[in-house]
Amino acid sequence: MPDVDVLVVGAGPAGAVAAWHAKLAAPELDVVLLERDRAVGAPVRCAEGVGDAGLREFANPDGADWVSRRITDVIFEAPDDTQIVLAECGIGWILDRSRFDAHLAAQAAAAGAEVLVGAEATGMSRNGAERWHVRVKERGREEVYRARVVIGADGVETMVGRWAGLDTRVPSRDMESCAQYVLQGIDFNPDAIYLQFSNAIAPGGYAWIFPKAVGIANVGLGIVALKTDGRNARQYLDDWIARRFPNGARTGYTVGGVIVHTTIKKTYTDGVLVAGDAAHMINPLSGGGINNAMKAGRLAGCTAAAAVRENDTSERRLARYHQTWMEVLGEDHLKYYRIKQALEHMDDAFLNSLARTVNKIAADKRTIGRVFTHALMRHPQLIPVAARFFV
Amino acid sequence: MRRVTPDTIAIVDLGVCDRCGLCLPLCPPEAIHLELNILTVDDAACTGCEKCIAPCPVGALAMVAYA
Repeated sequence: MPDVDVLVVGAGPAGAVAAWHAKLAAPELDVVLLERDRAVGAPVRCAEGVGDAGLREFANPDGADWVSRRITDVIFEAPDDTQIVLAECGIGWILDRSRFDAHLAAQAAAAGAEVLVGAEATGMSRNGAERWHVRVKERGREEVYRARVVIGADGVETMVGRWAGLDTRVPSRDMESCAQYVLQGIDFNPDAIYLQFSNAIAPGGYAWIFPKAVGIANVGLGIVALKTDGRNARQYLDDWIARRFPNGARTGYTVGGVIVHTTIKKTYTDGVLVAGDAAHMINPLSGGGINNAMKAGRLAGCTAAAAVRENDTSERRLARYHQTWMEVLGEDHLKYYRIKQALEHMDDAFLNSLARTVNKIAADKRTIGRVFTHALMRHPQLIPVAARFFV
Repeated sequence: MRRVTPDTIAIVDLGVCDRCGLCLPLCPPEAIHLELNILTVDDAACTGCEKCIAPCPVGALAMVAYA
């Protein structure tokens, strides 16, 4: 029965960074990082887009082998395919998640954490003891790890949170059902990401084209099931691709859920922290979660390490993790969530007219801020949206 | 939890299911489990509420009569 100080469940961006930074903060601790799948980073359930500034806090993308493409432009598309090219939208990256996640896990290992692949946590209990007893299945054997702090970075399923008694359930309206193909041999601007908003194409979400190389892209969409006409995400995607890229070769396929909610009410309890998708730490407007997950992972790893050192892994001590997260990003997500709710009422006819209005701004002056103020002037029904944002 | 529908429960078609885990946090009684790459619905816990059915990206979940 191995004893560890910090046991991290899930080796995605949140978990790998948590293990890495726990070791950096307290090198003397025993830190173990568990990955259920046979390889870190696989299968990829992600559109792989990430902003430059957040990424650089953790890894340098310049020349890195875990990058697929540098992105300089954002193109919004209305339901009728009217395009709005944004100016000054900043730099972004399309990652190769299978390599990126492995890179982060290697950082954790280089810092001294033990990384176990093909190791699945299947349950845990505490029973008043000082340590959590976590059952782990690995190559047909079951072992019980005794951990002072368990960090749940187990993604949308968020079983660690559930086992620890936290409420991690998601209302149906806040679950995006996503499907995506890797398409090859298609024509698009390889320096731009495309986001198309339309209730007919992707109700409650959007459709995307994220370039991985010239002629190759992640092409997918997310929908909210409550708003659909009965088709599932894959059927919506097949219909969109049949229209946009009928000749694209489908060389990859994935599905998954993106939780567009706000951070769970409580991300901690005695000896447990939950981070990343597992704690619903996703930007509810964009659906982006990678940088959020890494920031939360760093915070969780450092908090866990300090708590073990102080020999106090109580709920009261670990609550600082939640407070800091809410100050850093959680409060912003509450604002974004309010905007999301306001935007839900825009129909396709309105989105088409908005696109035409916004395109009257000169291309080099078409920043997101100007787009927003222009839209407000011409479409007073958007004022409540702005009001919610600044509340 | 109280049953929402008296005589139906969700079942998964493992030939269609992609094991993405999206349905787990949607289930109010937490009746859906994913372990060793197999998704299962606990028929004793399922209340028949159907919250997992439409969101499945590939349509792997369906309601069936439960005797």
